[in-house]
Amino acid sequence: MSAYDFDRVNILLAEDSPFIRSLLVSSLKVLGVGNVFAVEHGGDAIHFLQRVKNEPMKVGVQQIDIVISNWDMHPVDGMMLLRWIRRHKDSPDRFVPFVMITSYTEPERILQAREMGVTEILAKPFTIKNIGEKLISIIERPRQFVHTKDFFGPDRRRRKYDVATERRILNDKSEGVEIIRG
Amino acid sequence: MASKNPVIVRFYRFQNRLREKTAGLAPGNTSISPEALEKAQKALSKMSEDYPDWVSGLIVKLQEQHGRCVDSPEMRRDCFEEINHMAHDMKGQGGTFGYPLITSFADSLYGFTIQRPGDISDNQIELVKAHVDAMRAVIRGRVSGSGGEIGETLSTSLNDAIAKYEQTD
Repeated sequence: MSAYDFDRVNILLAEDSPFIRSLLVSSLKVLGVGNVFAVEHGGDAIHFLQRVKNEPMKVGVQQIDIVISNWDMHPVDGMMLLRWIRRHKDSPDRFVPFVMITSYTEPERILQAREMGVTEILAKPFTIKNIGEKLISIIERPRQFVHTKDFFGPDRRRRKYDVATERRILNDKSEGVEIIRG
Repeated sequence: MASKNPVIVRFYRFQNRLREKTAGLAPGNTSISPEALEKAQKALSKMSEDYPDWVSGLIVKLQEQHGRCVDSPEMRRDCFEEINHMAHDMKGQGGTFGYPLITSFADSLYGFTIQRPGDISDNQIELVKAHVDAMRAVIRGRVSGSGGEIGETLSTSLNDAIAKYEQTD
């Protein structure tokens, strides 16, 4: 079994607590992540992503591979950041994997994040193992993106069902289904 | 054609570039090296050593907010909001740094400082104090983990305080 090489991976981290921020930066660095760009809240993250889009040479990064963000931040929280990334016309990459960090793990909050197109949720308190698992899930089990009139985000169904138990009404051959590959 | 069959759903399926970037093109199992995981865990543990000092600062701020609630009842709502925010932060962090008791006390503090309609009573202010005192005892005694007997005593006395002040509320 070989080991992942995260050296060329660029992560944008938005976290308002200085303690947790420095903790996450050093953990990711020790795991071998090449570039971690840390900002204090969602507004700074949006500003940073705009700069990546408009002046990548100046920022020194062509593309952000993973966004990790705390949920509860001021003035722009993680949900607003996620919404901007998934829906705004200026977003440099509407498909970027998004990990939301939160100590709110009530089911309705998780659902809310899922409906907004979150990729993974990292519950606080977390361990290094938890962070590693989220990275592996993003790399090994990426989900197709689904775009309907009221949803845009990674497929909310993670499991593969047999045809007989699949409740999804539309399949790849149905009318009204468009498949975009890239 | 497109107008005849309006698109109801689009599926976007992309090549897994992140896997190519991190694991190369060769098939087969890849994992995070155990050495890297261990090193990262060690770094986390080392940082955890600074956690009690950092949280002590937050506890002092909580005490200040409590003092403000006592001195100026008209500011109680603002103070509670501030306390609620701090409790939320602490609740997410204690367990990560080996102080699950801080997480559980902060969780309780967070729970009852969520804003509700109506005035904030003196009993509720007393409850804030009981929580702050319990957290201070945890940090002062460096009561990590579940804290054994001391942990149990602290939890029990906090629960007694909650029961007492809630009953008479």
